Amino acid sequence: MKLITAVIKPFKLDEVKSALQAFGVHGMTVSEASGYGRQRGHTEVYRGAEYQVDLVPKVRLEVLCDDEDADDLIGVVVKAAQTGRIGDGKVWCTPVETVVRVRTGERGPGAL
Amino acid sequence: MGGPPGELPRRLGSFAADRARRTASADRWLASLLGAEPGVALVAVGGYGRRELVPGSDLDVLLLHHARPGIAALADRIWYPLWDSGTRLDHAVRRPADARAVARSDLRVALGLLHARHVAGDPELTGELRSGALADWRAAAGTRLAELHALHEERTARSGELAFLLEPDLKEARGGLRDAEAIYAVAAAWVAPGPGPRVRAAQEGILDTRHALHEVTGRASDRLVLQEQDEVARVLGLADADALLCHLAGAGRTVAYALDQSLRAAHRSRSGASQLSASGSGASRAGPSRSSRFRRRGAAPRRPLADGLVEQDGEVVLARPADPAADPVLVLRAAAAAAEAGLALAPRTLARLQQCPPLPVPWPPAARDALVTLLGTGQAAIGVWEALDQEGMLPDLIPDWERVRNRPQRNPLHTFTVDRHLVETAARAAALTRDVARPDLLLIAALLHDIGKGWPGDHRVTGEVVTRDTARRMGLAVEDTELVAGAVRHHLLLPHTATRRDLDDPETAAQVAAIVGSQRLLELLHALAIADGQATGPAAWNDWKAGLVGGLVRRVAAVLGGAPPPGPLPLRPGQVALAEAGQPAAMVAGSEVTVVAPDLPGLLWQAAGVLAAHRLAVRSANATSHGTMAVISFTVAHPFGEPPDATLVTSDLRRVLAGDLDVAGRLDRQGLLSTRAENAHRAWLAPPKVTLVDDASRTATVVEVRAHDAPGLLWRIGRALGEYALDVRAARVETLGAEAVDVFYVVGAGGRPVTDAATRGLIAAEVLSAITG
Repeated sequence: MKLITAVIKPFKLDEVKSALQAFGVHGMTVSEASGYGRQRGHTEVYRGAEYQVDLVPKVRLEVLCDDEDADDLIGVVVKAAQTGRIGDGKVWCTPVETVVRVRTGERGPGAL
Repeated sequence: MGGPPGELPRRLGSFAADRARRTASADRWLASLLGAEPGVALVAVGGYGRRELVPGSDLDVLLLHHARPGIAALADRIWYPLWDSGTRLDHAVRRPADARAVARSDLRVALGLLHARHVAGDPELTGELRSGALADWRAAAGTRLAELHALHEERTARSGELAFLLEPDLKEARGGLRDAEAIYAVAAAWVAPGPGPRVRAAQEGILDTRHALHEVTGRASDRLVLQEQDEVARVLGLADADALLCHLAGAGRTVAYALDQSLRAAHRSRSGASQLSASGSGASRAGPSRSSRFRRRGAAPRRPLADGLVEQDGEVVLARPADPAADPVLVLRAAAAAAEAGLALAPRTLARLQQCPPLPVPWPPAARDALVTLLGTGQAAIGVWEALDQEGMLPDLIPDWERVRNRPQRNPLHTFTVDRHLVETAARAAALTRDVARPDLLLIAALLHDIGKGWPGDHRVTGEVVTRDTARRMGLAVEDTELVAGAVRHHLLLPHTATRRDLDDPETAAQVAAIVGSQRLLELLHALAIADGQATGPAAWNDWKAGLVGGLVRRVAAVLGGAPPPGPLPLRPGQVALAEAGQPAAMVAGSEVTVVAPDLPGLLWQAAGVLAAHRLAVRSANATSHGTMAVISFTVAHPFGEPPDATLVTSDLRRVLAGDLDVAGRLDRQGLLSTRAENAHRAWLAPPKVTLVDDASRTATVVEVRAHDAPGLLWRIGRALGEYALDVRAARVETLGAEAVDVFYVVGAGGRPVTDAATRGLIAAEVLSAITG
């Protein structure tokens, strides 16, 4: 099993959510986040601001999936979240040892 | 910065050449990204503007334009490839007027623009910005330089001094790269000269170190931490980390001193400019001076300070009749006058003092008096001494000074390099001159007490030799020379004995008295111990140590005065009452814990175990008796800030004595015994050392343990010895950073010292195994 985590631009959340639903994802966790990357929060090529690092609002989205679905899922998120401008975000994938459904105690892929 | 793809690996060796190459390569890349666009310019600012690109540098770039349409798309074309290459970019897109407006409201932007350099595009645009920004800087120099000064002070408060820190921040610390840039900024305002060749060389040295550090770590970190120092030294071609720190200390001091001079010049120019309405800052110290309100710049009044010396414009300068070439004492007299007035020596005066002939040997009394006056001013002496150091005048005064100059001290207790520590100690000693019969000898001993650290071997022994020599040069009388040399030889005697020996043992005071021999030396040593401890750093001196040293001095003074050494302090009424209750009990008063219980072997270490289980670190322990009850007084430190609860300690004590409490288990559960195991893999730790000290006491065998500090040590050692019917009668623990010197007074059967060689060997072995587990 894998955990896909995506940090994306907030206004792209709806598009990413619809794309994931269309792909057959039943559940996800969404949280508000803030951060910066290579541009240190300077989201406009135009302005710039010397020596300041700004935290930019982002949305963090987490989805658990089977190993074989991971690559496709990443592709779906990237395609939906892309604007081609700086600050589009990142998607990463981490291995998950086990998953337990709290209500039933089911373990492993059956709990997804 | 990452640089364009396909960059060639750098040849090791010339760092400056590498920086120039990085800059040229970034310039070419930016020019190719801009292409032939009319009406715009790319400008390098900040460190990039100064061509100081090291591996972790940001690329500070400004895209200048005159309201050009489509500028955002052009910016996209330039910034995106830079971002995609991983280059750390600080970018802005502005019109020259906007850039100047931002600089007016943000000091750091203004400082960056002082180094604006044309990279590509229309050079006239860059020229317009440069001249405009410099004109703005000069026009508002008064307020900008005051802001610069405040920024420097804030940095110093936050990052400390490059010269004296074991792990300095090369950029932010006082004397670091930001300060070097600040010297240029003051010079750009035309109020002080630019940096001279020494300052430029120092700046280059620090920059090379930063360059090497980035290269070694592969990160853009500017803090030279201990573990990187050897490798950075190797890359720089220096012998070792000590050589690196010594080199940095010299560079940091040079930069800091030069910036101080620049900022003073800036301050003078500000107060000079406002002199029509108020008197200058220097004159205000002396009270209102005649017609100061109508004084013009360049006509500041002169106030006589000492023979040949006057104050002018807040600095000490030579009086007109002064003749440096004929006056060897003038250097010291000027330094003393400056420190007394709390002023700095003017740069041109320092330059003229270079003409002074060397002092004759032995020194004339006037020179000695001037030195003592200088040192006696306390904190004010430090800055003046630093000025003499920077101008290279100290070796003429004290030839051995050069050997301790900038010498780092690899010791977590020490804040300063050896030379600065000596000056700091003298400054602290100045506050104690009322406590000694000969203040002059105290100040000279304080200035020289660690001078032996410039030579191999025990610095107290080498220091005594150097001091005797130096004192003779200074023309001290024979008996005074001996006194100062003795103070240097024995400057650690009082603090070491007080923290490592049982003061209540008559032998302790008797031995110290035999070494010291006179009241005069004793009071010198006492004052020197206080000043030395205070100047070493906050961890080296505290009330506990001061109390112990004071107690030792009282006892030794009594012995020297012919009186029998005072016995242990009598029990206080509270302690007596507790003992007379006849039950095991504990009483807590601040950091003192008194434990009473029926006098049985092993009581002391068992009680220490209970305290350790309450997370208290035992600093000292002393046992006395009252009737059939033992009264043990512990000094403890509570690392978590909570004084212990006497009721809980009492109940645990009763359970231990009844055999109901498993102290080992309790300590183990609290993780207090695991410290050693964690430390075991730290191979760089020196192995613990156990010594049986002969003749330190007539009533007990003294065991000195030097080991990494660990909780419950007294309990562990006591328990190990208890199995051989040996008992611990008293204990002292002195912590030196993470290291501890623990001393145990061990007695055998019948409460007598152990003389049998086999048993003594057994003690050493048992103690060692108790420490190492």
